[in-house]
Amino acid sequence: MGAATDAVDDDEREFGAEDDVVPAVKSNNDVDYDDADADARRDAPRSSSSSSSSSATTSVVYSPELLGVYYSRLFPYDLLHSWLSYDPSSINPGNGKVVTPAKASSSSSSSSSSSYSSSSLSSSSTFPRREFSMTIEPTPGSEVYIRYQSFSSREDLAAAVMRRRPTKLDIGAVFNHPPKDNKSLPAGKLQTVERELVFDVDLTDYDEVRNCGCAGADICPKCWTYMGMAMGVMDAGLRRDFGFRHLAWFYSGRRGVHCWVCDESARMLTNEARSAVASYFEVNLGSDKNKGFNLSAPLHPALARAYEILEPRFVDSVLPEDGHGLLATRASWTRLLLTLPKAAHPVASRLEERWGRSPGRDATPREKWRELKSELASFVGGRGGGAKAPKTLSSSDRVRIEMWPVETVFRQTYPRLDINVSKMQNHLLKSPFCVHPKTGRVCVPIDADDFDSFDPFAVPTLASLVRELDEYEARGGGGNDANADGGVVHDWQKTSLRGPFERYRKKVLIPLLNDERRSAREERERRAAVVGDF
Amino acid sequence: MNVAGPARSRPSSSSSSDANSKRGHHGHAADGGSSSLVDMYLDVPSFELSLDEFEEYALARLKVLRKIEEMKTRNLPPDLFRSQLDASIKSNLRSNDIVDVASHFILRAAYCRNEDLRRWFLTQECILFRHRLESVSRGGGGSRGGGGNNGGGGHHDELRDFLARNDFDLDRVSAADKERLRDKLLSVPGTNPVEFNVAEYYRVPFVQALELVGRRECYVADGNAYVPLPRVVSIVAAKFRSSLSRSLASAGGIFRQAVSRDERARIGPLLSSMNSQYTGPSGGAGSSAAYGIDGEEGAPTAANVDELASRSMPLCMRQLHRGLQRDHKLKHQGRLQYGLFLKGAGMSLEEHTLFFQREFAKIMTGEQFNKQYAYSIRHMHGKEGKRATYTPGAEHHGCPYRHYDDASLSALLGLLKIGNAVDRDAIMAHKRDGNFQLACSRHFEAVHPGATSLEGVNLDGVGNHPNAWFSASVSYHNAKSGKGGATGGSKNVVKAEGVA
Ligand SMILES: [Zn+2]
Repeated sequence: MGAATDAVDDDEREFGAEDDVVPAVKSNNDVDYDDADADARRDAPRSSSSSSSSSATTSVVYSPELLGVYYSRLFPYDLLHSWLSYDPSSINPGNGKVVTPAKASSSSSSSSSSSYSSSSLSSSSTFPRREFSMTIEPTPGSEVYIRYQSFSSREDLAAAVMRRRPTKLDIGAVFNHPPKDNKSLPAGKLQTVERELVFDVDLTDYDEVRNCGCAGADICPKCWTYMGMAMGVMDAGLRRDFGFRHLAWFYSGRRGVHCWVCDESARMLTNEARSAVASYFEVNLGSDKNKGFNLSAPLHPALARAYEILEPRFVDSVLPEDGHGLLATRASWTRLLLTLPKAAHPVASRLEERWGRSPGRDATPREKWRELKSELASFVGGRGGGAKAPKTLSSSDRVRIEMWPVETVFRQTYPRLDINVSKMQNHLLKSPFCVHPKTGRVCVPIDADDFDSFDPFAVPTLASLVRELDEYEARGGGGNDANADGGVVHDWQKTSLRGPFERYRKKVLIPLLNDERRSAREERERRAAVVGDF
Repeated sequence: MNVAGPARSRPSSSSSSDANSKRGHHGHAADGGSSSLVDMYLDVPSFELSLDEFEEYALARLKVLRKIEEMKTRNLPPDLFRSQLDASIKSNLRSNDIVDVASHFILRAAYCRNEDLRRWFLTQECILFRHRLESVSRGGGGSRGGGGNNGGGGHHDELRDFLARNDFDLDRVSAADKERLRDKLLSVPGTNPVEFNVAEYYRVPFVQALELVGRRECYVADGNAYVPLPRVVSIVAAKFRSSLSRSLASAGGIFRQAVSRDERARIGPLLSSMNSQYTGPSGGAGSSAAYGIDGEEGAPTAANVDELASRSMPLCMRQLHRGLQRDHKLKHQGRLQYGLFLKGAGMSLEEHTLFFQREFAKIMTGEQFNKQYAYSIRHMHGKEGKRATYTPGAEHHGCPYRHYDDASLSALLGLLKIGNAVDRDAIMAHKRDGNFQLACSRHFEAVHPGATSLEGVNLDGVGNHPNAWFSASVSYHNAKSGKGGATGGSKNVVKAEGVA
């Protein structure tokens, strides 16, 4: 990259979440690839046959050909573009439908396409100044990472994506100039202007608490429950504490989730503010069990709420045998009791003994947890019944014992954020609606009203989508005519993407754009001034 | 703010008396009896300064700010940092409101010109502000008036006064709300249940309380942080930062409002050179010319300056000299820079006047010259006015290595026949890498072979300061020609004082 990009080169190798991709071969010529060339290189070694139905009948979930079909027929360019343009006119005010190209030309004069014509700062839409980056494979096995792409319109974006068929598409910041012009700008001139506040949670960071046997990139329904819990805690904190309203959650395609906070006030946050928000959510869980992990008492309100959210789920899906088995077997409860503070060892011995024989042994994990908590409470409370605390119990021991259940729940389930993703305006993060090349699964929106029931294994793969398309068309269901079949305008509406995509449009995109419409320009300037800085 | 001429004769203009009345409660009276210890510098002040005071105050503050920068670079422990900063404030800004406020606004005007300057000024000023605010909330001294307060809780009154005075729009949490939020507020780490009952809480947008938010040291709800009074310090400091940051962006405009056109013409050059004013070795109080040549021999005169320019000047000054020879004039900025350089190199007022007169006479009458330029040369030498003595700048602008493109620089090096092809390649390589100081040093090495092994030649600062470059070159040539280099005791030897 040229000297003109000094200001933003820091993040060049930071890919966002899905870092299992082989680090891309970085070439100084990346951006100069002749497109025809790239196409030739990509296509050359492969069969040019791309019959979608034949691919779909095999067990292959992902292939460049399938990806080509996805990009040319299913990728929701309009949803992505409407969102990133923050332009209310890209949504038809009447029915809340995203304006299609054909409709746009015949609707009002302030239709979305008119705002693409200018790529300057004066454009009402931020879309043309948004950085995209692409990971492409010019030849199989070799990756090239192309930064500083930007597109004047949805059509432009769609054309480039279809031509290059990126294995990964990343979204960066909105800059003061279209990033694609970076080479012609003086050094340091290209600067970030705004960016959604983003969060990344990934199951690879949970390995030490995944007793399901998964590690690294593997996931299973047992450990996925951690993601549901993480989303619940983050969503509540961002909305209630920080007052954000427009949170878009997406599956990252493999083993994690992304959150994009799209409120204007979030987009304008400085890097310093992003760091502060990320730190607010960060709890140092200690590297080794129990080490360096001491929560202070009383619990900060945000952590107290997190505990309220997490503890019931911890009981339901972490403690039992079919969860992570924390209190399911003698070996596991012994291990857990050993993590009690020294001062509470009388409680540990008492329970160890009681659970060693019937009927204590037969208590469910849920009952054992309740028993454990109440034993600890009466131990420090000095009430009769259980083991008696020595009168000399120091106040710090008392705090440690009182906090132990919280620490235990947190160590197991508290969101483990990759906070570097959140700290910088300029950090790239994988675009929603992409397809993960290892799983073939689409990065679909996740419904914020129902985190716990999101099932990553039910997310359609490229192969299943192409099969659904074929089946839909074999049934003779309506082509592209919007009136023919339940308002089907887009090919994705013919597949199982319809549910998540339409829910996203209704629950995230339309409220967001309506708010944009309401927000007066003065308000924008006032808020920018409050958080403003050089 | 009015800047009167040397005679301090100018009456207040109407635009500034407005500001004056608005600001009456700040008590910027000459007697300095104000109790205001920290200032947000929200309004442009109004008072008269002589040109000398203007400059003197600004340089005084510059010393404090550079001291801050230096201490931050050295990463001093907090205690030491505080005590040294207190000492610097005390010796430079004294206990005088006028010096503090005036110097802040003068430097604000001087440092608003580009982003690097703004960033530098903003950084140091925020550290200074925070230091003073913490002193107030700790009830210690070290602030402007030095008037400490040791009564328990009394300092909170000072802080509250300060907040009220500066129209802080912190939203006070009502007693009812505080009671309703009791459990939440008490759950914030570090909250003392006993103090809680008398604590005042404020509600601020969370972006104004980032430090507290980041450490979960406040209750946060619906985008607002709830903060007890003492912790407001961190918020006020953040607010100071953003307000100063914004004003710097428009400081030029404010300055034009407050200062009449005549005054601007006179102080403009002063402002534009302020950031390159040399304030002496860091930490020291002295501001004598650090690289000056002691005595007449080796010092530039009108007669030898042409020769010295090609022999002993770094590229930037040589370019100014060539410009002067070619056009017989220099713009403000160049005149000031080159003049300060010559003065720093030991050129006397008389020779300086003579030299400029000689060049300018080619395009104007002697009368014109005297009217337009003689004053500023005298001023530069500290004759026209009281104490002010300019010392040459450490960070100068117009560095050819930095500002020329590759082709122009390469052509210039060839034109001036600097070194051989290898030298010129090496200089160009440094330039391309952005190592402008190395390029400048490399130029020195190219034209002073063997300089490192000569006794009495001090090479420190050669790439950083044109005067260091010059005096090293002069002493090099003296040593070569046997004029006193060997013993090191001659009066031609460069003063090493202050050369870091
Ligand atoms: Zn698993």
